[in-house]
Amino acid sequence: MLKMTHLSKVYRTEVVETYALRDFNINVKEGEFVAVTGPSGSGKTTFLTIAGLLETFTGGHYHLDGIEVSQLNDNARSKIRNEKIGFIFQAFNLIPDLNVYDNVEVPLRYRGMKAAERKQRIMDALERVGLASRAKHYPAELSGGQQQRVAIARALAGSPRLLLADEPTGNLDTQMARGVMELLEEIHREGATIVMVTHDPELAARAQRNVHIIDGQVVDLAEEPRFHAHNARVADA
Amino acid sequence: MDMQVGPILSALRRHKAGAVLIALQIALTLAILCNALFIVHQRLSHLSEPTGLDEANIFVIQNEWVGKASYAQLDAEARADLEVLRRLPGVADVTTSNSYPLRGAGWDDGIRLHPDQLTDTTGATVYFADEHFVRTLGLKLVAGRDFRAGDIGVMAAQDRLDPSQVIVTRALADTLFHGDTAVGRTLYLAGSPATIVGVVDRLQAQSVARWAADFAHRVVIVPRRLTSTLGTYYIVRTHPGQLAAAMRAAPAALVARNPRRMFDPRMGVLSFAQVRERAYESDRGMATLMGVISAVLLAITAAGIVGVTSFRVGQRRRQIGVRRALGATRHDIVRYFLVENLLVSGSGILLGVLLALAMNLWLILRFGMQGLSPAYLAAGVAVLLLLGQAAALAPALRASRVPPVEATRAG
Repeated sequence: MLKMTHLSKVYRTEVVETYALRDFNINVKEGEFVAVTGPSGSGKTTFLTIAGLLETFTGGHYHLDGIEVSQLNDNARSKIRNEKIGFIFQAFNLIPDLNVYDNVEVPLRYRGMKAAERKQRIMDALERVGLASRAKHYPAELSGGQQQRVAIARALAGSPRLLLADEPTGNLDTQMARGVMELLEEIHREGATIVMVTHDPELAARAQRNVHIIDGQVVDLAEEPRFHAHNARVADA
Repeated sequence: MDMQVGPILSALRRHKAGAVLIALQIALTLAILCNALFIVHQRLSHLSEPTGLDEANIFVIQNEWVGKASYAQLDAEARADLEVLRRLPGVADVTTSNSYPLRGAGWDDGIRLHPDQLTDTTGATVYFADEHFVRTLGLKLVAGRDFRAGDIGVMAAQDRLDPSQVIVTRALADTLFHGDTAVGRTLYLAGSPATIVGVVDRLQAQSVARWAADFAHRVVIVPRRLTSTLGTYYIVRTHPGQLAAAMRAAPAALVARNPRRMFDPRMGVLSFAQVRERAYESDRGMATLMGVISAVLLAITAAGIVGVTSFRVGQRRRQIGVRRALGATRHDIVRYFLVENLLVSGSGILLGVLLALAMNLWLILRFGMQGLSPAYLAAGVAVLLLLGQAAALAPALRASRVPPVEATRAG
C-alpha cells in the first residue's frame, strides 16, 4: 500500500544541507495499522507529509497503492490526496466558517461528486462517528473530541485507501483520546490501512506494528533485530 | 464544475463586515460611474454636432469702434468694411451679423403663430443678416429664396424688431408647421407678423448651454443690419486653403481703412475651429472631470477589493492548506476566491443598479437630465464585474500558491 525505498528529504539553505529523512525505507501493507514513533525532530512529521503527498521528496522512490508518485504533477497529486488518502490532523483542521455537514463535504466536492451521493456519504460518515445529530453545528460549538470525530468523518467519507493520522489525540484529554483511539481501532478492524504518527508509547502499543524513526531513518521494531541489540547495549550501560 | 456557492455564502455570512463594505463601495461606484459616463457621453456627443456652416473656410472678426458715432455713420462704416474685406485675396464672401453659431450669446426671442397667443409656440435664436449671410455661411437653402439687397433694413439695438420677411431653419419650420410647407406662412416674432420667404437646412443657435438644447437649431434669420456702438461681427468665408492668409490680412486692411477701432487680442479674429474649441471648453472640462472622478473611484474600489481579498487570503492560509490537503487543486483555490468575489460584487452590483436609477431620477427631477440609457447600466455592470474579478485575481493566485503542507503547520 505504502512503500518508500531509499527515500531522502533534504532542506537546503545557501550554507547548509539538513537531512530530514535519509535512506528511509518503509513498507506498509494493505489493512495494517502502523504507529510511527520517535523523538521530536526525528522526522516523523516529514515522513507523514511526504506519505500524504503534502510535500515532495529529494531522492528515492515512493509507491502509493502501486503508483510511483515522484513524477506526478501538482494536479495529479491533488487527485490522489483527494481519492486515496484520508487525513486526521492533531489540530483537527476543521474549517471554522463551515458547519459539520459542510466540513465533511469539502473533499467530496473537490471530487466532483453529485449532491445526492455526497449527502448519503456525509450522513453515513457522521453516523459512523456518532455525530449525525450535530450536522448543523459549527466547530466552535463542539468539544475537542467531537471536532476530531468530525475530522475522522471527513477523512472516512471519501472511502480512502489509506488513513494518515498525525498525533490524532495530541490535543485531547485522556477520556476523549481513548474514545478517538477506539474509533480508529474500529475503523482498522473494518479493513482500513492506518498510519499514525504519535509520540505516546501507550497509544503506539495499541497499533498492530510500531515503526520507530531516529534521525530521519527507520528502525522497525518488529523487523530489525539490530534495534533490540542496540537497546540491550543501552540497557546494559 | 462545482462553484461551491453554498459553502462560500455560508462562510461569507459569518464574516459580513468586509463583504458588506466592499459591496456598498461597488454599489456606489456603479451608481456614480453609470451616471457620470452618461453625462460625459451627452456632453461629448454635442462636440461634433454640425452647425450647418462651411466651418473649414470661415473666420470671424469682432470689430469694436472707438469714439462716438451716429447709427447711420456706424452702418456706413460697416458697409465700407465689408467692401474692403470682399476685395481681399482669397475671400469668397463676407457678411455682418449680431452673432454667429456657438458664440455663446446673442439674441433669442419667442415665436408665436397667432397674434393673440398668450405663450410662445417656441423660443428661437435670431440672427440679423444681409443678402450675403446665407451664401457666406454656406447654408443650404431647401425651400423658398434668399434675401435680396432690397429686403435688408438697418436697425439700432433699441429699435423695435419688426421684419416683414424672415428665413427660418428646417428645425423651426418643423416645430411650427409639423412638416407642412413653411414658405409663405406667417409667424409672429416679438409680436410682429413676418412672412417666411425661405427655409435653410441647418443653422445652429449661438448657445450650446443645456437650457438652449431644446431649440438648438430653431433659428429665424431677419433681413436687418444691426448697428451698435459696441461693435459688430464680420463673418468671412474664404476660398479653400486661403483661410490663414485672409485671417492675417483682414485686420490690417480694416485698420488701414479706418484706424479708430480695436480687435481683442484673444477674441478679435477667430477661425471657426477656434470658435468651436472655445464653445465646448466647459463641456470638455466637465467630461474630463467626470472621467477622472470615475477613474479614481474605480481605482479606489479595485484597491479595496485587492485589500479585502488579500486580507482574507492571509487570514485563511491554514484553511487553504487544509483544502489543498483534502484534494483542492490550485485552480480550485483560485476559483474559490473568484466566486467569492463574484458573489460579493454581484450583490453590490444589484444594489448599484437600483442606486444608479435612483440617482438618475434625482438628476432628472433636479437638473432636467435625460433618462439613463440601459446601455450605460449594462456597461457599468460589465466594467465592475471585470474590475472585481481582475482585482481579486492576484490575491487568489497568491492563495493558490499556499502549499498543502501548510495544513500540518502549527498556528
